[in-house]
Amino acid sequence: MNPYTSRYPGYDVLNKRDTPSWDAITRKVIAQRMATPSEPGFLDVVRWRALEALCARIVPQPADRPQVPLAGMVDMRLQKNAGDGFRYARLPPLREAWLIGLNALDEESKARHELPFASLEHAAQNTLLTQMQHGELSSSHWKGMDATLFFSQRVLPDICGAYYSHPYAWNEIGFGGPANPRGYVRMYYDRRDPWEAVEAKPGKERQAMEKNRRVR
Amino acid sequence: MTLSRQTWTGVACALAGVAAVAAISRRRRTERLLHIETSRAFNRSSALLACSVLTDSAMEHYRGAFSNVAMYVPPAVATCSLLAGFHGGADRTPATHTVRHAIYWGATLTGLAGTGFHLYNVMKRPGGWSWQNLFYAAPLGAPTALLLSGALGAAAERLRNQPAHEPRLLGMPAGKALGLLSGIGLAGTAIEAALLHFRGSFQHKAMYAPVSVPPAASALLLHASLTRPQPRWLARVVLQLTWLVGWIGTALHVRGVARHHGGWRNWSQNLFNGPPVPAPPSFSALALAGLAALRLREGERR
Repeated sequence: MNPYTSRYPGYDVLNKRDTPSWDAITRKVIAQRMATPSEPGFLDVVRWRALEALCARIVPQPADRPQVPLAGMVDMRLQKNAGDGFRYARLPPLREAWLIGLNALDEESKARHELPFASLEHAAQNTLLTQMQHGELSSSHWKGMDATLFFSQRVLPDICGAYYSHPYAWNEIGFGGPANPRGYVRMYYDRRDPWEAVEAKPGKERQAMEKNRRVR
Repeated sequence: MTLSRQTWTGVACALAGVAAVAAISRRRRTERLLHIETSRAFNRSSALLACSVLTDSAMEHYRGAFSNVAMYVPPAVATCSLLAGFHGGADRTPATHTVRHAIYWGATLTGLAGTGFHLYNVMKRPGGWSWQNLFYAAPLGAPTALLLSGALGAAAERLRNQPAHEPRLLGMPAGKALGLLSGIGLAGTAIEAALLHFRGSFQHKAMYAPVSVPPAASALLLHASLTRPQPRWLARVVLQLTWLVGWIGTALHVRGVARHHGGWRNWSQNLFNGPPVPAPPSFSALALAGLAALRLREGERR
């Protein structure tokens, strides 16, 4: 990957693994997250394929860098049944909502195109998702679940949340990773602590890259 | 008969001993002039204050990424003031030292300019003159410490040129002038401690100490300077207490850093996040100056 296409050239949050920025617990948690397998543990293969296709539409990832295992992270969450601690009263619990949603998405796809969601062209997938977002899908396969709510309260938060909890996404947005145990001491606009990423100003990419090498 | 080498060595040692004793007793014979001793105390006090300023400004300006070139000036000037203080503290010459005097004036002017810079920094931030910016923008009181370091040193240098009998400074008896200077300095430093301990919502009872003992010392010292000279044991005791408050405060600030998340193992963050370790010795420095001024003041005629 050409480092200069990044706003934070040369920055890799994982380089801080063995510096004072991370402690044992941070290392353990991030290692677990990095080791998330890209295969189903909770879903069956059919729904797993639908989930993979859905993730690729919600957060398309550049092909020239390692991929965040989005479907694997959502599946892991379902496996652990790790809810939010609250839910919309009109939505079923986490696992049930995802099972109904992925199943209904495939059924709606088959009804229109005679193909499961994962086998559609990207444009057709987008159309179907837009319809889901606008509440235009309401076949009996939804079992009374509101498709709009499923989209806004499960699909978006769960997939985007999983994406931005991954170090690859942190590198992309220049996020410093867990503040524990270092803490921020320069709490003012446009100031960075030595453990934060350096944003490249146009024409100053090389300098930013040099500085990002020393981030720890 | 030839004397052995050992004998010669013994004789040489004895002669050297005699010479050393003679030198010491001769030095003892030179009269210690009170106003020169006061000058030296002020040089030392200025050095301790400069030491605080050097550490504090180097740390805080590093935290501010030296975003303005002028931010390099205070650590450099404070280093000069510190060295001048060491030199002056050991010097009994009853005459102004030109280089030291110049350094002290430089420190005074730098402190003055720094206060202006810090005021500008507070005012340019959104909200301008507000508690938020007084707490978190460039601290207004910090450059004043450099100003004080310079002023104490400059006063010490001028005092050296005065006659031993009834020395005068700024048109008044020297003890009075120095008492006023240290008294005002103590009050100013106490105001800064009050502001920052208020920011820290006085979360520890000891945080009241620097806003009660030094103001009392300041008031007693100013009183002693402005009234007819006489022995002032209470002022002396409270000044000694202020000296102690400075050092105990340093220890407590060290402990405050330890109490932050990660403690001293996370020193690179907690030295900035925790209470400033170099700050409390300023009280000890000003108490030293105050005590020396009081000693001089007590012997004055009016």
